[in-house]
Amino acid sequence: MTEHDDPQHTDHAPTSVFADATEMRGTGAAMIELEHVDKFFGDFQALRDINVKVAAQEVVVVIGPSGSGKSTMIRCINRLEEHDAGRIVVDGTELSNDIRNIQEIRRETGMVFQSFNLFPHLSVLDNVTLAPRKVRKLPKAIAEEMGMALLEMVKIPEQAAKYPGQLSGGQQQRVAIARSLAMKPKVMLFDEPTSALDPEMINEVLDTMKELAASGMTMIVVTHEMGFAREVADRVVFMADGQIVEVGTPDHFFENPSEDRTKLFLSQIL
Amino acid sequence: MTATAHRSGSLVWARRNLFRTPLDGVLSVVFGAISVWLIYKTLSFVFVTGRWDIIRVNLRLLMIGRFPDVHVLRLSVTVVGLAAWGGFLAGFIRARQVRSGRISDTGVSITARIRDIAGRLWLPSVVVLLLLLLSSTAGPWITVGLAIVAAVVGRLIGPFAGRRKLGPGASAAVFAGLGAVPVALYFYVVTAVGFNAWGGFMLNLFLAACAIVLCFPLGILLALGRRSTLPLVRLVCTTYIEIVRGAPLFVLLLLANSALGFFVPNSLAPSTSTRAIIVFTLFTAAYMAEIIRGGLQSVPRGQIEAAKAVGLSPVRQTGYIVLPQALRNVIPAQIGQLISLFKDTTLAGVAMGLFELLNVATSIPAQEGFRGQGLIGETITFAALLFWTVSFTMSRESQRLERRLGVGER
Repeated sequence: MTEHDDPQHTDHAPTSVFADATEMRGTGAAMIELEHVDKFFGDFQALRDINVKVAAQEVVVVIGPSGSGKSTMIRCINRLEEHDAGRIVVDGTELSNDIRNIQEIRRETGMVFQSFNLFPHLSVLDNVTLAPRKVRKLPKAIAEEMGMALLEMVKIPEQAAKYPGQLSGGQQQRVAIARSLAMKPKVMLFDEPTSALDPEMINEVLDTMKELAASGMTMIVVTHEMGFAREVADRVVFMADGQIVEVGTPDHFFENPSEDRTKLFLSQIL
Repeated sequence: MTATAHRSGSLVWARRNLFRTPLDGVLSVVFGAISVWLIYKTLSFVFVTGRWDIIRVNLRLLMIGRFPDVHVLRLSVTVVGLAAWGGFLAGFIRARQVRSGRISDTGVSITARIRDIAGRLWLPSVVVLLLLLLSSTAGPWITVGLAIVAAVVGRLIGPFAGRRKLGPGASAAVFAGLGAVPVALYFYVVTAVGFNAWGGFMLNLFLAACAIVLCFPLGILLALGRRSTLPLVRLVCTTYIEIVRGAPLFVLLLLANSALGFFVPNSLAPSTSTRAIIVFTLFTAAYMAEIIRGGLQSVPRGQIEAAKAVGLSPVRQTGYIVLPQALRNVIPAQIGQLISLFKDTTLAGVAMGLFELLNVATSIPAQEGFRGQGLIGETITFAALLFWTVSFTMSRESQRLERRLGVGER
């Protein structure tokens, strides 16, 4: 990771922001900025006036009931969904309709999906090295060296020659993380990365994500893993009905939530 | 003891499977009798009543039509050349796959490999042997012998080129060379003997091979075009597919044969065989497009999203992620269409008067010496055997391809 001159990452000043996450701890440059973002699916409004800033090296966990727009929000950031109003800025580049601009933002953002979405016709190593070779134009040997290093990092170098179908769910998801990291993204988006996994495999994936967070990666994680949120998140964003209801540090959020909607949700899941 | 146990075992089996109820029993007896009668009739036709002289006398006409004597040597050279080329290609591809780690080279014994090849090729080998036994000259024997030697030599040389790590220039040269061989052999033959003198089973194989090679890329383009986001491209591709699929192949062949003269002056009009290739290509491409479109739709949306998320451009999403999976998912349907194309080459005989196998087979019973003896059963059976052999081999190879590419495993 690039060193960031701003150490705000460790600065956990309590915040009590009401439906507005724009307040930043510290003064660091925002890695991701969403301003007044709206998203419709037909007549249904999936996102209502979303405002979020995520600083470099910050880990933001998004929680909320299903259908609350969590996934839609992070899918708008790399344009898997097109937002209808508002601005989205990633590392100083505003997302526009220009395909080059979209490609550029996608190169800077890695994404990990609930259902892994590994390429079944490619070996594990080829899954990891395809984009670096074809998009970043790395020579094959260098890309494979880097790919093996990433597979070491997610602790499955011995599976490099296998195909995704031969791996367990937890292993596949770790390959998916390695695949995203291979493009050296500045931001990682996680869309319910452990929801499709058998319980005994959840921890191996969460551990990988914790290491990634500790290494200083900027992360937005949509998850139902409250333990992960408590332990790793710098901030927790709670969404319901397409809106951000509450934003706060994990301590504030789990011990002393301000909103009734948040209290109701926490009482249902904890 | 064991013998009686065995007999009672088969009795039990027969009772359970053939005579479980009275109705079962009646059906078993009736269909058993019909099968025995059919088998008896077939065997007696093949070995007793059939008069296979007509095949022996006309073998050459059936296989290569009225190809001039003086140039038959060129066909032999072509067959041997193609065998060497095929062997080289097989060795080359295999060595590349081994080098890239896609398949392992260890633990496969020579005998296992020979058994594998024998399992794949026994049927065409038997038919070729039958044809050789029917032939009255030494030429075909020498040609087939040399072809086998050439294929083996090519297979042994191929890995040397495939194993080596080639630079972009060298590998482009190898691929260009491999692509140039069949084209060069084609010109080697066609410059001596024009298309119009080609005939027999050779013509069926040639028409099918050309159309298969050409319809495949066209089908992919049409399938992608039909799913394009550009309305005009989509409209053109959809219109083309629907019009071509709406017309019988026979009608298209007739049109190409007769109506082309309205649009193109005679001096510019392509030869009849060329027209047949064009029609087969355009026709099959429309069907291939729909098959491939089905394959494209079978690729989960998550695959495209993942390809987008790692930053692949739309062209690369299609080329590296969507198309490989789509084509693999529809191999059985694709091969089925190609088999159908191969058999449809007989229509070119009826619709355009090309002297292909079926045309030869239906006309030789009217020859001097065979006329009025009702030998069409023999000639048609012979044609059917050749078509079945090739079609069945294609079908088996497609199953093998499916297994190797792991269709059905996600």
